Amino acid sequence: MLSVRAVSKRYGKSIVLDSATFELQPGEVLATVGSNGAGKSTLIKAVIGLIRFDGDVSVDGIDVRRHGREARARIGYLPQNPAFHTDLNVRETVTFFAQLRGAAASATRSAVEAVGLAEHAEKQVRALSGGMRQRLALAIAQLGDPPLLMLDEPATGLDVAARLELRQFIHEQRALGKAILLSTHWLDDVPSIADRVIVLDEGRTTFDGPAAAFATRAVARSLLYVRLNGHSGEAIPLIQATGGDVTRSGDWLAITCPANHKAHVMETLLGAGITILDFRVEEAAAPSAPGPLPGGTQ
Amino acid sequence: MTAVRSILGKELRDAVRSRWLLAFAATFALIALALAVVQEQGDVGAQGFNRTTASLINLCLMLVPLLALILGAGAIAGERDRGTLATLLAQPLSATQLLIGKYLGLTIAVWMAIALGFGMAGVLLALVRPVADFGHYLLFIVLSSALASAMLSIGMVISVLSDGRAKALAIAVLAWFALVLFYDLAAIGLALSVTSSGQSLLLTALLNPVESVRILAILSLEPDLHVLGPVGAYLHLELGTLRSVVLLTGAVLAWAVAPLAVGAMLFRRQDV
Repeated sequence: MLSVRAVSKRYGKSIVLDSATFELQPGEVLATVGSNGAGKSTLIKAVIGLIRFDGDVSVDGIDVRRHGREARARIGYLPQNPAFHTDLNVRETVTFFAQLRGAAASATRSAVEAVGLAEHAEKQVRALSGGMRQRLALAIAQLGDPPLLMLDEPATGLDVAARLELRQFIHEQRALGKAILLSTHWLDDVPSIADRVIVLDEGRTTFDGPAAAFATRAVARSLLYVRLNGHSGEAIPLIQATGGDVTRSGDWLAITCPANHKAHVMETLLGAGITILDFRVEEAAAPSAPGPLPGGTQ
Repeated sequence: MTAVRSILGKELRDAVRSRWLLAFAATFALIALALAVVQEQGDVGAQGFNRTTASLINLCLMLVPLLALILGAGAIAGERDRGTLATLLAQPLSATQLLIGKYLGLTIAVWMAIALGFGMAGVLLALVRPVADFGHYLLFIVLSSALASAMLSIGMVISVLSDGRAKALAIAVLAWFALVLFYDLAAIGLALSVTSSGQSLLLTALLNPVESVRILAILSLEPDLHVLGPVGAYLHLELGTLRSVVLLTGAVLAWAVAPLAVGAMLFRRQDV
């Protein structure tokens, strides 16, 4: 369905995507993983033909550079930050894009209903919440029933419920035989939704292999912020002993540790009699490379 | 073609919804009526529409280019600002189709504003005046529309080359100053400082659509073109009326097409 061969993109002397190569089959979900600036969005933009690049990309055998319109007719694209004409309402927006995609007029209504926006069909786009805009973008991406879906950071800004809905949507589309290329920098999403994973680091592919193999090695990490009662000097070696990386920032310590070690870090501190005044937990961005993996390409 | 039609349709709908089309139509109508009333109160003659037309020409040679340049400049740069350009170009739509769809939509919208505004004023004037010179007035409407097409085309190139709407509008206003205000002064300066041939002065006029339309408008009112000095004499004596009309019309058409073609070529090569 999608063939990407030696695709590179450079801005001046800076290489943002270096010889990316992979194939994506119908019914397969491929996740590109990497930190911000790793080249994930650039790769998606190259596949869609939004940027010039070196190398070859074909969708369903159609060269994206030579026959961009024909190729894009087979691609449904969910941008990272969906932007629409805010003076139109939901129905008008979907109708406009349905016309552009050559989709049947009846597709407009079903697309709006499919993403749960039927009761908001007459609402101006400017009045939609971020989550609703995401749904609208999803409705547009499905117009014309494209066989390839490109989802750029689809989980960004979604609450837990919306994230679960998104996972369900991806499962359904895969079951329908759609090929899906998605980018994410949160590792949590990957094992549950992807069949294969490509890790990008500063534009280079550092890993290409099955999601299961990726998940066993690329342990999700958390960023744990704790504010202590003046015992930072005592706490730091204790935290390091648990395997966490620590940096001090004023009253706060920033601890990067495996996601399933968070509680252990807290227990260690409390066990040593250190009072924790406050704490905050964030998921850490994907590591630049998960390390050597059996069956994976390094 | 479906994609171009969709973009064109959206531009027209936007023009009607945002009410700028009606606002400009009303402005054009008011200007034409005000000029007619002022003349009526002054030296009353039997010139009818010709007097109104002659007065309107200079005013429209300033207003129409400003309107068209600003609208053209906002076309692509506005989409870029809103972040909608990537959403549009991710569809089965080429950059050239998007540019052409927007250009045609804006062109038709401006034509409608001109035709509606000056048309309404013309009908009202025809009710109280003899209609013998109505042809000149209609020709003036056509020339204004042609000028709008050329200036929109230039505006579209500015839009393609600008990374944001504010920058595009600033460049459009500069272009307006250059083409409408300074160009005339520069041409006069050239004529006074060096011994210019009629041919070189004609070339100067052809290189600016505002000047080409100005000469065409004057040509329709005074075919001997004496009022234009050396350029007029050259056109009258060397080329004759018909060839002059063809040459100047060709120049305006070229201005409507060439910048758009350059814009499309540049747009295709840009990253979104």
